[in-house]
Amino acid sequence: MTPSNSTIGIIANPTSARDIRRVIANASNLQITDRVNIILRILTSLSSMGLGHVWMMPDKSGQAAILIRHLKREHNLHHSFPKVSFLDMAVTSTVDDTFTATRMMCEAGVKAIIVLGGDGTHRAVVRELMQCGSTIPIAGLSTGTNNAFPEMRESTITGIAVGLYATGRLSADEALAHNKTIEISINDGERSDIALVDAVISTDRYVGARAVWKTESLNSVFLTFADPQVIGLSAIGGLLQPVGRRAPGGLAVHISDDIKQQKLILEAPIAPGMIRNIGISNWEVMPANKPFEVTLKGGVVALDGERELTFDDKDKVTVTLRENSFFTVDVTRCLQTAAAWGLFHSSPTTAILPEGDTCHA
Amino acid sequence: MPSNPFPLSKERLLEVYRTMRTIREFEERLHVDFSRGDIPGFVHLYAGEEATGTGILCHLGDGDRIASTHRGHGHCIAKGVDVGAMMKEIYGKKGGACNGKGGSMHIADLSKGMMGANGILGAGAPLACGAALAAKYRNKGEIAITFVGDGASNQGTFLESLNLAGVWNLPVIFVVENNGYAESTSRDYAVSVDSFVDRAAGFGLPGITVDGTDFFAVYEAAGEIIRRAREGGGPSLLECKTVRFFGHFEGDAQTYRPEGEIENARANIDCLKKFAAQVTSQGVISAAELEAIDKSVLALIEDSVVKAKAAPLPTEADLTTDVYVSY
Repeated sequence: MTPSNSTIGIIANPTSARDIRRVIANASNLQITDRVNIILRILTSLSSMGLGHVWMMPDKSGQAAILIRHLKREHNLHHSFPKVSFLDMAVTSTVDDTFTATRMMCEAGVKAIIVLGGDGTHRAVVRELMQCGSTIPIAGLSTGTNNAFPEMRESTITGIAVGLYATGRLSADEALAHNKTIEISINDGERSDIALVDAVISTDRYVGARAVWKTESLNSVFLTFADPQVIGLSAIGGLLQPVGRRAPGGLAVHISDDIKQQKLILEAPIAPGMIRNIGISNWEVMPANKPFEVTLKGGVVALDGERELTFDDKDKVTVTLRENSFFTVDVTRCLQTAAAWGLFHSSPTTAILPEGDTCHA
Repeated sequence: MPSNPFPLSKERLLEVYRTMRTIREFEERLHVDFSRGDIPGFVHLYAGEEATGTGILCHLGDGDRIASTHRGHGHCIAKGVDVGAMMKEIYGKKGGACNGKGGSMHIADLSKGMMGANGILGAGAPLACGAALAAKYRNKGEIAITFVGDGASNQGTFLESLNLAGVWNLPVIFVVENNGYAESTSRDYAVSVDSFVDRAAGFGLPGITVDGTDFFAVYEAAGEIIRRAREGGGPSLLECKTVRFFGHFEGDAQTYRPEGEIENARANIDCLKKFAAQVTSQGVISAAELEAIDKSVLALIEDSVVKAKAAPLPTEADLTTDVYVSY
């Protein structure tokens, strides 16, 4: 493919899928070496699409160190990869690294950011993109625990789709999709944050180990989309009243332990390996831009599976669904369009054939 | 009076703060006294890592055993070893936890389940497996915990212990206190597969990572894995990402650390400051209550130093005692 001057960013959270759910529910642990292999496959795809330069978030968790070792090995084997540059930033080994890397990638003018992580990592990238006022699209790959937002997809394919967009073979209209967010506001914006999939109101009032898994503490769940096939707290909505990722509106589900309040008991897979009965008192569609006020007096707001914002009885907490909040690379549509248009075809006379292969046409 | 949102009562929260503050002041004092030449041998200080040891060990009773490391003062204090006896031990005096014959790296108190600090890196892991095997036979729901640094996790003893614990389904927990440095060597250089959770996975054990500077994160995660071990769920690994405020050992010039790293850690990721902010902002504990603890801890440390200095040295006759343990 023709070389391109476009650059791509890769933010790979080295510590996603490391939380307590591995102990309490046999959630999987994607090992660092496998994460590096995923990145190497992305790089292979980007190289094949003609992209010459990739910015990466550095880390102190071994991922960057192993990637550098492997890239040297690949170089020795004469395999083609884009130039990989690590951002010059102080590593804190916290979510701040994701924020910083996102901001620096915006400033570097990347065409897209490929994100490896769970819902929480993707949320962090999108939050920072929105803070920067950026419309750079993201392409998500699932390496976390709760993966409602990022896709379980082979990274080679995601890399190709991103390459199609970044090199201009597909336009934004052809390659990108709009996504919804949930906006949380405490005391009319005194504190605010977003969720990509679910904002959960819990009666817990401290952040602790962050993950949410105790159903007895659930009060309500606000969802941008609700797919019956996904894992996590959004499965509660998915099994009640599915809402499509691209469909208008969201879903609010109210939960109660009080049998008098319950309309039904729902059996839902709220985390990998955790299927629980949830008492549902009510559920309703969330139209875009309509604020829902949280009635619980004191608790914590968990965003995409992680406890983030504590509030008490003096705080006013509102939850609002927003449409068209940010862009993602629509991998399925990219590949379907590319196939329909023959973007991977070339003339037999100019095609580069594998060594030793012969053309029988 | 606001209700308490935390998973511990106010009294327990005050105890936790007292423990963490005692560790901090104990270490800060040793830093000063060692530089004066008052203390024989080597000391490796735990300051900065208090939330890790305290968040884990506050779940344990005296029947639960721990195997510590060369950086063991915090583990000792959090496991309930007498501070006065520890100070005497570090000063090499009679009346110390080991009658002054062990020093900083060999403080032990079996009555508290503290099997000993350990001068040999990675050596605590097989000891904890032994204690866990005993606990399994006793069948009282007791567990064992071993601490290891990110550097010592490269030792064969540690990896062999992960295997043994998995094979025998021992009630043992491997805590990796990841402060980023193996002595002076960065983890990035020295650890080939840098996730300690991955190491556990390689032996079929679940592992999790928590912010070791947040007491409540450690407390909650440790509570789950300890409960699991007590109920027969077997071994697991807990990686606590933490920071040490001092060098590997006292006297370490720390030229390998980036400029400003320690100052930043003390300013922004001090676990005691985090804890104090969390409990006071919720109105559960007042700043005055914490200050009262600070004062009483300082008095305790001062008293322990005065008594340690005044205590006699071991005599020649003490050389032949405590060599073997009687059962």
